[in-house]
Amino acid sequence: MKRRDFFKIVATGGAAAAAGGCQQATETILPLVVPNEQLIPGVASYFATVCRECPAGCGVLARNRDGRVVKLEGNPDHPVNQGALCLRGQAALQGLYHPDRFAGAQIRDGRALRPVSWDDALKTLAEKLAALRGGNKGRAIAIVSQLENGSTGTLLDRFGQALGARPRVTLEPFGYEAIRAANRATFGRDAVPSYLFAETQVLLNFGADFVETWINNVHYPGAFARMHAFREGRAGTAIHIEPRQSLTAANADLWVQNAPGTEGLLALAILKVLVEKGMADRAYAGAVAEIDVKRVADESGVDATTIQHVAETFGRGKPSLAIGGGAAVSGSNATQTQIALNLLNAAVGNIGRTVRFGADWAYGKVTPYAEVARLVQAMAAGEIEALVLGSGVNPAFTLPGGLKAAEALAKVPFIVSFANQPDDTTALAHLVLPDTHWLESWGDYSPREGVIGMLQPAMKPIRDSRPMGDVLLAVARTLLGGEEGKGPLPWATFEQYVKASWEPVVKGDVPGALGAGGVWRDVPATSVAAKPAPVDMPPAKLEGDAGGFALLAYPSLRMYDGRSATRAWLQETPDSMTSIAWDAPVEIAEETAKSLGIARGDIVKVSSPHGAIELPAYPRPGLHPKAVAIPIGHRYARYHVPRYVGAPSTTQNPMVLLPGAPDPASGGLAYLGVRVTLTRTGARRPLAVLQATFDQDHRELARHVDLTAAREQALRGKSEPHEMLTMYTDQRYPANRWGMAVDVDACLGCGACAVACIAENNIPVVGKAEAAYGRQLHWLRVERWREDGAPADHSPNFFMPMFCQHCEVAPCEPVCPVFAAYRTEEGLNGQVYNRCVGTRYCGNNCPYHVRRFNWYNYDFPAPLEVQLNPDVTVRQLGIMEKCTMCIQRIVAGKDRARDERRPVRDGDITTACQQTCPTQAITFGNLKDEASAVSKLSHAPRAYAVLDELGTRPGVTYLKKVVRGHA
Amino acid sequence: MAKAGVGALGVVLLAVLIFLVVSSWTRQPASAKPSMQPIDFPHNTHVQTYKIDCQYCHADARRSEYAGLPSVQRCLGCHKITAADKPEIQKLAQYGAKSEPIPWVRVFKVPEFTYFPHKPHVRGGVSCQTCHGPVETMTTAAGRTGPRVVNDLLRVAGFRPAAPPLSMGWCIDCHRKENATRGMRAPLDCVTCHH
Repeated sequence: MKRRDFFKIVATGGAAAAAGGCQQATETILPLVVPNEQLIPGVASYFATVCRECPAGCGVLARNRDGRVVKLEGNPDHPVNQGALCLRGQAALQGLYHPDRFAGAQIRDGRALRPVSWDDALKTLAEKLAALRGGNKGRAIAIVSQLENGSTGTLLDRFGQALGARPRVTLEPFGYEAIRAANRATFGRDAVPSYLFAETQVLLNFGADFVETWINNVHYPGAFARMHAFREGRAGTAIHIEPRQSLTAANADLWVQNAPGTEGLLALAILKVLVEKGMADRAYAGAVAEIDVKRVADESGVDATTIQHVAETFGRGKPSLAIGGGAAVSGSNATQTQIALNLLNAAVGNIGRTVRFGADWAYGKVTPYAEVARLVQAMAAGEIEALVLGSGVNPAFTLPGGLKAAEALAKVPFIVSFANQPDDTTALAHLVLPDTHWLESWGDYSPREGVIGMLQPAMKPIRDSRPMGDVLLAVARTLLGGEEGKGPLPWATFEQYVKASWEPVVKGDVPGALGAGGVWRDVPATSVAAKPAPVDMPPAKLEGDAGGFALLAYPSLRMYDGRSATRAWLQETPDSMTSIAWDAPVEIAEETAKSLGIARGDIVKVSSPHGAIELPAYPRPGLHPKAVAIPIGHRYARYHVPRYVGAPSTTQNPMVLLPGAPDPASGGLAYLGVRVTLTRTGARRPLAVLQATFDQDHRELARHVDLTAAREQALRGKSEPHEMLTMYTDQRYPANRWGMAVDVDACLGCGACAVACIAENNIPVVGKAEAAYGRQLHWLRVERWREDGAPADHSPNFFMPMFCQHCEVAPCEPVCPVFAAYRTEEGLNGQVYNRCVGTRYCGNNCPYHVRRFNWYNYDFPAPLEVQLNPDVTVRQLGIMEKCTMCIQRIVAGKDRARDERRPVRDGDITTACQQTCPTQAITFGNLKDEASAVSKLSHAPRAYAVLDELGTRPGVTYLKKVVRGHA
Repeated sequence: MAKAGVGALGVVLLAVLIFLVVSSWTRQPASAKPSMQPIDFPHNTHVQTYKIDCQYCHADARRSEYAGLPSVQRCLGCHKITAADKPEIQKLAQYGAKSEPIPWVRVFKVPEFTYFPHKPHVRGGVSCQTCHGPVETMTTAAGRTGPRVVNDLLRVAGFRPAAPPLSMGWCIDCHRKENATRGMRAPLDCVTCHH
């Protein structure tokens, strides 16, 4: 045979083999053996439960598709969050399907944990506890849990009593001890009261980060919008006093930078001015007799005219409200500062109006940090022989370095942890009994007086785990020798226990209460009287080098105290102020960094007397030159490394730098308690900064209007409607034209929308290096802009959720060679994935930069793929994608309307971003319907289109920020 | 010698051609071989002899994206007694006894990037046969229309209707026709099905 013939035969044979090999693989469909009456395959069902990502306790509806939870949404009937959810709540699904979750019980074997059968694990636990109880050493048993004020808490307490253990300690790093101590001193009430933002005209805020974490970062932003957003007609004023321009400060009409720890003095100076001007109760004159406004101005770095101005603005508010919190108001004088705020509120008559006792927040039941510290000292002294840690607590990570908690824990001979993911504490535990995730559990939680939120399992446990309550009951039975149905803990399962404890409140209607998400009632306000005693205001004591920088260790919006840090969605969602994704930076004031020769990304060693950490530097405007700031809670999960980030820096948590001694006045932990020194190490770790500049460069992306002008326009209607000339006829929309409106005035930049979009639309995580290239796939990003011509640290900033603008004259469409980008007859810019060939022309031609390209096939590490929304295609390598206005939700909404034989009504369809927004800044609807909310907004005087000079005619309208000239 | 080599090559090429033609039958869209079902289920007996409605067994079609298959419990609801001695029914009883699902082989499939909900089609009065063919006359689904040589030869000769191709053009044609003739509002936007 000739060589040429040989090649021919080989080539055709190969082709035939290839053709034969691509037959369709057979696929099986498995019907249920026994049908589930509650679930129809392909139809979502919703379970009401309570978010336990932090002590805020928001109501949640879990969307279950085919037996697995795919999305969380706020419960609209819940009095605390009213349908909204924050980004941590949205990302709770990543905790449920976390790849690192423990599968089954684990026991320590040398340095590592190894799996052990549940029977053996329970036997080990029962034997250890029985030995201690039998040897009359019950006091050597300590129980630590997160804030559990419902059935789980009472069960833990009963369990502890049966063993003769020490009283249970609830470990919540952000416990508001200073507010409680101040309320004890001024009003004789140990409580965290309700603050009625919505009724307030002027909010004077001393560092309380309510957009990030303060008390409830869903409830208070919502209430703030009702008080502050122009659309509500009230347009109140917000003044913020803090050494650092936090996200909350960036939303204030006036941000006043003060020296760290001088908030109390400022409060008293303001009170003094009010009393002198006759704007406050004269009875308080004695309390501020010693205050010299000029001296306060010198110490705080806030000039006297600003103090006068703030005081007058505050005094004009009828009613007003002064609040305090955050890292800056947590130093050694935090209690006195809060007392000063109490006096300020009392002197202008806010108590009972905007500060109301009665419906108090659950934080009043948190064990003060001082008692936690005492327990840790007992551990270090060898007094604790068995430590029981509930899920959600991680003392080795969240306690300050000065307390040396990890060393104390190492001295405890037996630690049992109910954590369901590995963390710093399970690394020290001897036995790990993974608790079920809260979406798989029964329980209840009361975020504030009068509200009992109920938890029910929204799905079966995805990993081999058992409810902590079941384990406690089983161990108690073995330990106390009781039969089921007898003894102090007679219940067979935690579910029975929970339902029995609900009986008095639900009065037989368990399904009804569960369906609503809980039981709530109005709590009458308790009237209190203030004691106008003078407060002694010492300066905040700071340990460490006197020439160093005051460390502001601030609670992170995304990570809380570190509980949420293992969620890759949150790591990749950039911080709203710095736009840094993934790593924790050390924020240094720009001028300080310049004088020290520190550039962005330089690794800086931050040292305090208690420890040192090395972090990349982020020089920024809007920070006091004598302070540095580090967010609390950054850490990586095992599966993040090296999948999404390279080698991790050792620790990123500033807690290691803080002193352990509690504040004697309140028993709280001083987050402002130390001065640190900065040393350049010479190494670099570039940060993934997703927004290159916050300067609009006169492009008028985020526009604003003065309050007076906005009021005038609202009366007179829109002035000049500047229509662009066009050669083309208008597009016609036969049925609907979907559109959205974003109120820049209401948006606070919390980022909940961005994470809701990730959860709804199967958006993969790309990792730090890819994100730094700008290859993150977020369909919705929150942009931060500052006013043109204003200084870099000017407040208010403008926050703008930016996503596909669904242009009528879309630049992306004509450049697509395969018609993958096209205009639908309902006003959307469609993107047909199966047509797309990945030329990226559309992305290059999009002026809004909202199209995202799949540079790789991104993976969803098991079992995270179980979370994927079955109604949305998972895109693959080489595909361009972007916001669809949640087309799957539009299809579902139209389907529901047709089932009911009616047209789609306004409000039937909500997009994921709109649904979760705490301030309702996003509106979706039909622009053809004149009566729809979105139509009205898009014709409002404040309406504008971003980059409208390009003539793209977007389907998304933005509403201008309203700035207060007088603030 | 050279000529014999070319002749052999010709035979190989012919074989390849025949192979491609035959294998193309098995790769028609949205169909697998009907012969490999775990139980030889006769649709014709159930529908024609016993007059059971499609949606008695495929009960989710009117309320879900998926038509659904009957649970083993539902099959056994009748077959605990009815024809319990037949060998195929005994297979079913075994699945029931072991509490195992029946691994039915999928016959109809649209690609993964296509969202096809049954519910609006049932609501719009589209009969099951419009897309699935005359299942009531078949033993297993696609038994009479599926990609088998006999079926295809009969089809070519005009004795048997072709199986609906379940291709996009075919979907769109039907949507257009229904909108024009029956005044329906079947969507034609790409993103209604591809999202």
